[in-house]
This record gives sequence, structure tokens and C-alpha cells, in this order.
Amino acid sequence: MPPDRSMSRRDFLRRGALITGALAAGLPEAVSLLHPKVAEGAIMGIGQELRDVLNEETVNRILQEALARGGDAADLFAEQRFRTSIVLDAGKIDSVTYGYPRGAGVRVVRRNQTGYAFSDEISYSSLLDAARIASSVVETQSRTNPIDVRLRNVEPPFTLVNPEPLMLEATKLGILQRMDAAARSTDPRIVSVRIDYMDETRDVLIGTSEGVYVLDRQYLTSVACSVAAQAAGKRASGLATLGGRIDSGYFEHVSPEAAARDAARQALRLLDAGPAPAGPMPVVVAPGWGGVLIHESLGHALEADGIRRGTSLLAGLAGTRVASPLVRVVDDARWPNGRGSYAFDDEGTPGQRTVAVEGGVIQSYLIDKQSGRLMTLRSTGNARRMSYRNWPIPRMTNTYLDVGTSDPSSLLSGITKGFYAAELAGGSVETTSGNFNFTVHEGYWIENGKLTRPVRGAVLVGNSLETMQRIEGIGTDLRVEQTRGTCGKDGQMVPVGVGQPTVRFSSMTVGGPSI
Amino acid sequence: MARQSAVDLAEKMRVQAERSGAQEAETYLESSTTTEVRLRQGQVELLQQSIVQGIGLRVFRDRRMGFLYTTDLRDTVLTELVNRTLALTNQATPRDENRIAENLSVSQSDLEIRDPAVAALRPEDLIKLARAAEESAFAQDERIQTTRDVRCGTSVGEIFFSNTFIPRQTYAATSIWLSATPIATQGNQRREGTYEERKRFLSDLARPEQVGQLAVARALARLGAAPVPSARVPVVFAAEAAGMFLRGLFQAFSALNVIEQRSFLAGKVGQQIASSAVTIIDDGTMRRGLGSVYFDGEGVQTHRTVVVDRGVLRQLLHSGPTARRMNTTPTGNGIRSYDSLPTIGPTNFYIDNGSSTHKLVEEVDRGLHVTGLAGFGLDVVSGEYSQQVDGQWIEKGVLTKPVEGVTVAGRLDEMLLGITGVGRDLEFRSNVASPAIRFKELTVGGVA
Repeated sequence: MPPDRSMSRRDFLRRGALITGALAAGLPEAVSLLHPKVAEGAIMGIGQELRDVLNEETVNRILQEALARGGDAADLFAEQRFRTSIVLDAGKIDSVTYGYPRGAGVRVVRRNQTGYAFSDEISYSSLLDAARIASSVVETQSRTNPIDVRLRNVEPPFTLVNPEPLMLEATKLGILQRMDAAARSTDPRIVSVRIDYMDETRDVLIGTSEGVYVLDRQYLTSVACSVAAQAAGKRASGLATLGGRIDSGYFEHVSPEAAARDAARQALRLLDAGPAPAGPMPVVVAPGWGGVLIHESLGHALEADGIRRGTSLLAGLAGTRVASPLVRVVDDARWPNGRGSYAFDDEGTPGQRTVAVEGGVIQSYLIDKQSGRLMTLRSTGNARRMSYRNWPIPRMTNTYLDVGTSDPSSLLSGITKGFYAAELAGGSVETTSGNFNFTVHEGYWIENGKLTRPVRGAVLVGNSLETMQRIEGIGTDLRVEQTRGTCGKDGQMVPVGVGQPTVRFSSMTVGGPSI
Repeated sequence: MARQSAVDLAEKMRVQAERSGAQEAETYLESSTTTEVRLRQGQVELLQQSIVQGIGLRVFRDRRMGFLYTTDLRDTVLTELVNRTLALTNQATPRDENRIAENLSVSQSDLEIRDPAVAALRPEDLIKLARAAEESAFAQDERIQTTRDVRCGTSVGEIFFSNTFIPRQTYAATSIWLSATPIATQGNQRREGTYEERKRFLSDLARPEQVGQLAVARALARLGAAPVPSARVPVVFAAEAAGMFLRGLFQAFSALNVIEQRSFLAGKVGQQIASSAVTIIDDGTMRRGLGSVYFDGEGVQTHRTVVVDRGVLRQLLHSGPTARRMNTTPTGNGIRSYDSLPTIGPTNFYIDNGSSTHKLVEEVDRGLHVTGLAGFGLDVVSGEYSQQVDGQWIEKGVLTKPVEGVTVAGRLDEMLLGITGVGRDLEFRSNVASPAIRFKELTVGGVA
């Protein structure tokens, strides 16, 4: 949905039809439960409510003020979100929440220095104040080049015809109740089911001293079903997630009941699972969410802030081989329905597909504008922020290890004793040393080339450079996970996609209790 | 300072909700100013100033609960939002425990959570503190040539609370933090170390020179680190690592997780769950405590709760609804901000100092001293523990060599019962803290 006027007119017609259609169908809550500003926004067009206050002329004046004391660049970022959250716990709709955070921030950048100030109130005067505070980071001669922002049209990575967040609340609640019933009915040993639902509609407006002025609306849905099973004094948990940047038609293709049953079965399997092994051994990681591994081991170290500051272990290694020649890492802001997808990043740069590592050699870092200026490289459209309360920093979007040539089942063969990571939980990395970890929720022994006994979770650890050299096989079964993935850096959480095919490592340290 | 108009607006929203069909309603207004500077190689890399003002409104109708939060304080929008939230509330399930606090007697004693000296600090003052910390870091050792950064910030905030029964209550609080992350280089190995302190009062904060010095010691201690062979050995968690471990363990003591069978401690109240050396306390009334407040997010007075008394699980931690479900009194652990519902969380949560003067490391013949934890590895549902750690190897009671790239693992129930020593070095650098603790035996996963 490109944010130009002609399109918003088409939007207006379609959304208008959606709402009046719902009315005609005798569902007045379609309107009464939609947030007034979303309903109004749907009719007025993307970002229109922000633009009413922050038109091009106003933005010019605020940015002029931001650069009044000097600086290389300034930008303004305004945002309003409308969030619906529902928690179903112990069979009951525990809470229903509407959230309406809204505000704008101004950033001033001079070389490696950043000044940032924001206001929860979106008004000309409050943002002029923010501009003055942000500019206090620089103390140089004033520069008075006039600023002239112009509305840019940006090609969206994909189009949502009827975004899921606009569904009726009753429909969303129905999905949660179906999941709850499905998980509970799987087995009497299921003792707890909790479902966390969240959706949001995020309108953004960005103006930069380079003349960019863009508007966009981003939709996101996430559903997490957490199940606990109990028997003979043992407890275990299972998790399934649904969502992404999705259309309401998603739930016609993806069964909420099947996901809930998957979570229940995982908890049941883990009830009977034995302890995980400890020590170094061959490790095979399952496709999809297993991409957390690439995200932690290479992705963070490729982010340009650590590169330009020399704090990342990959600083100065562009063009150098840092991984097995089989490794190709892609960061793609245009992956269909991906949690990390967007038309443009939070500095107004169009989102793109970046091949970061090819044949094990670093091809590109993940770059924001400030790092780009300091490194004389172009931004790769990877600047993101958690909200208007944060300044943008280089981040991943949807990052995956690209498809390989091995038959996934062949990757187990030849392993006499090893570990299969079936389901991961999360991970972290220290980019200075490259020491990283990721937690496996569900694992299996590999014995004589076959998956045998299930084992409970354990953390797996390694050092990026060593571990990435130990990749000895990559499957043909690439999957990019779009239903979960929230990455934290510097206190800023952003939704991301991760992915990979089945991957085999010659050795990694498994951290179970059993020697 | 909150604008009077915002305070009035919060009240007005609540009254409007009550007039429009909510039997009970509650508002929570948060107003805060945060300033942070980040310094690197003597230069200010970041200067951020922010003023936050947000309202959370909980409405109750026929024991159903709905919640709204916003930073949009335009009068016209709020009226509409309140009505829509009430409509949404009809979708929730009625629950007996959905009630709000009916009275609040706030402690008369001064918790000392607001320091005028912190409120008076300007960005220049923070830059000065950060600069002193970084200069001290560089002065320690020639292997320190760079830092990731040094951060110094302050937050000055106010809370306004009212509900259908409790007239407006308010408190103000401050905090100040200073952290340094120098990077030590030796050959082609580089390791960082972070030391961070967060306090309510400026006078409680370590001197910046000390922050720089302690951070450098941590970075240098890691140089030359390597994995050790896998083994089952005694493991000592230094105070900071023990505090991080305890933070992960908190959710096992949440009454909600226990009721819903999501904690390995379900059914264990009154039983010995840890060795008798262990006493765990949650104290929302500690003087100058970072987690100290006069009342929690539901308008319940905060308390000092002995959770584990010499190894026996005495008391779970509650919000209002879980206390009603278990027919007990809430413990004042309904933690929230304006944009979240109250959930059970820690106030000042700690393992108390040991009574004996255990020589935790000296008594170990062969084992691991853990100073750093990374990642997520504590599963309170299954009670399994497995985490990436670094630290030093212990040989005959002496720290011999730096260790990294290893894991420690065990079962939480056995680990807690097997705590063979608790140190006397409890110190609050955040709201969750512990002295050093020693586990009888954990699995260290390393090289073959």
C-alpha cells in the first residue's frame, strides 16, 4: 500500500466498503470496536492523521531547527500504533487490552554523535522543543541550508488485502477459544493452556534533512500458545506460534487447532524425554526457527555500528572468509509476510534484500545511514527502532542461512553419536568475542545416523568464527519463520524473521546435565 | 513533573468509565523524565532526553476486566477510548477474583526513593561522571585501549493512582545509573567487561573511578579464557551471577505460575525446597531500594515477605487476583507500568547473606567459579537448568585460569537443595541481588 494520494483514495474506497459491508451484515461491533482513529485512518488514508499535524512544511521547519547548531543530518519520526491484546488463561478470557501509544522524536547526527529527544504529544511546538534538545549534542557553527522534504512513493514488499488486525474482535476471540479447546482435549495430562494474542496497526511518518518524506502503515499479528503437561511429578512445556504480517485469510490456510495440538504434543513428548548430553559432539539443527543460530552467530556481528566502532569481531573483515564456503547469509526486508519486513526502514530508506555472506565471505554489512556516512557506504535499509521513543540503530530484518544442496535426511548419516536440535527457544551473543549460545527446547539423540531418544532442553554454545567453519552440510529445506522472533539490542525490541534449512555442524558444545 | 491537566484527565477518565457502566475503575498515570548520555573515547556518542506521560485505565463490569493505555492525552480522543474499552470488556470472561483494592494504608515511614540531588542533575553532570569512569578505565592497564561505551543516566518519575474506592495516591521516585564496558586486548583476543550500578540516591552510587576500575578488572580477567573438559564438580556463582540466576528463578515463586501448574515449586509450600543455608526475601519497603515503592500497580501496600526461610518455602508472591484465588492476602507484587496490566514481579528480591563465614572458593578442591551468565536457560516449568557461563577454574581452593565457552546444567530442585554455602557479599546494584552461592555439584559442559 504505497502511501501516495491516489492509492489512499483506493484505500479509502476499499476500507470504506469493508466497514460499511460489516455494518450491512449486522455486525455493528465492526465499527464500534474499531479504534476511532483506526476507523478514521482507514477512511482518511495511511498516516493521514500524523500528516495533518506534520505536513511537509512543518517538518521542514522542525528539521531546520534541529540543524540550527550544526550537524550532518536530522530526522523526524512520528508514530501511532493501535494495539489489541487478549490473554486467554485457564480457559478464560483473562484480559482484553487496547493500547494507543503515539508520539514523535527528533534526531540530530554529527559524525558518530547522536542527539535524540521525543515527545508523547505530537504538536509543532513540542517537536520544536525536541529538536532543540536533540541539537544540544552538537556545538558547531550553524548551517542554514534550506530543507525541502518531498513525499516519496515506496514499493511495498507485499500487499495485504484485508489485514488480520482489522478483523472483528469476536473472530479473534473465537480463534483463541478454538486453540484452547484443541490443546486441552489432546490429553488429560495437559494441565495448563495460556494463549497470548497481540495485533497492531502502526502508522509511521518520517522526514529527513536529505529531503525524504514517507508515510506507511504496518500490520503485525502474533499468537503464542503455551502448554504445560504434568505426570508422575514431572512437568514439561510446549509452545506453538502463529502470525506474522498477515491477511485475515491466513487462518483459513493455517489451522489454529493444529498449532495448539502441536504445542500440547511437544509438552507430552518432553514429559518422557531424558536428560540432554554434555560436551562436544556433532550437532544437526532443524530448519526454520533454527535460524536463531545464524542470527546470533553472524547476524549481530555484521551490524554496522559494531563494525564502524571496531567492537565487532567481524570489523575489518569485509571480503574475508569467516564461515564454511557453504554459507550464504541473506537479510531480506521484503520477505512475504515476514515479521521483519517493511517498505522502508525507520530512517526512510527502502527495505532491501542484502546478501551479507556468500561462499563464507562477507559481502556486505547491515548498514544504517549514520554508519554509512562514517564508512562511506550506502545504507542497506537496516535502521530500525522499537518506537518513537528510541533512535534508530542497525538491525536485522528477516535473516536466513540460504538453501543448500544436501538431502535433509542425509545430514544425519555417518553420525554415530550426536545431538539433534528440533526446537529452539532463543539465544544471545557477545559481538566482541563472538561467544554465543542458543537454547534448545526439544532435542533428540542421533545414534548411528538415526534420531532415537527425545531429550529435554539444553543450551548449545560456541564461538562464531569457529562454529561457522564447522558447517559441513546444508539441506534443501529452507524455511523462514514468520510467526515468532523478537530481537533485543540496546534495550530495543523489534520483530524479526529468522530461517535456515537443516544444518549439520561437525562439532558444537552441548550443555546438558548428562555426562 | 506531571502536568496538572494530565492528572485531572486521569481522574476524569475514571469517573467517565464509572458513569458509563463500569462498576469499578482504576487509573494509573506515569510521568517521567529520563536522560542518558553515552560516552566513548572521550566523546559524547549519545545524548537522549525523554519525557513520558501515559495513562492506564482498568475497568471492571460484572467481574469482567478491560484495559486501555495511551499516551494520547487529547480530551476528545479519551472519551471515545473509554467507551470503546467498556464495550471490549464485555468480551472478557467474568472471574470472581476480578476486583480492585478497596482500601490502601500507605506506610508512614519515608522509603527514601526520591533524591532531589538526582533530580537536579543536568546532562553536563552526567557527561562528567561518565568521563571520569572512562578515564579511570583507560588509566588501569595498557591492554585497555577502547571501550564499547560508558553510560550514565537518570530517571525522575511520578505515579498517580486512584480507583473507585481509593482517592488519589501519589509518589515520586528517582534513579541513577552508571555503567562502563571497557574492552581488553591481548594478541588477537578481545574481551569486554561490564560493571553497572543503579541506585535511587546519587550519594549511594559508586565513585565513577571505582566503576571504571571494576569494569576493567572484569575485562582483564577474561583474557586467555578457554573451555575446560566436561566434568561434574562443585560450582560457585559469584554474587552478580547468583543475582542473575535468582532473577530467572523468580517466576517459580509467582503464585499464578504455581496455581496454573507452571512452576516446579507447585505443591511445595511448607516444604524444604533449598538447603537450610538459603533464605529468600522480597521486600518492597527497603529503604532506598530500587524496587521499593509505597504501593504496587494495583494499589496494594508493599510488604516485606520471607519467601524461603532457611530452605523452607513459606510464602508465594501474589497480585490481588491470585491472593483472592488462594484466599490469602496480596503481597504487593503487582508490578506494572502505565502500558501493562499488573503482573507478579519482584520488588527488591534477594537471597539473604549467609550467617556463617563460608570460604566458598577456598573449600573447593576442583571446581568452577562462575562470574558471567549469558542467554536463557532456566525453565521454571520443567525445573531444568542449562546456561552458558564464564569464570575461572578452581584448583585446591585457588582460582587458576580463566574459562569460557562452557555450560553448567542441573535440575533446579536438586541444585537448590544442594547449595552448600552462601556468602556474605550481598549488595544491591539492581533490584534483584544475591551473595555468592555454592552448588554442591553441577555438570560443566566443555571440551572432551
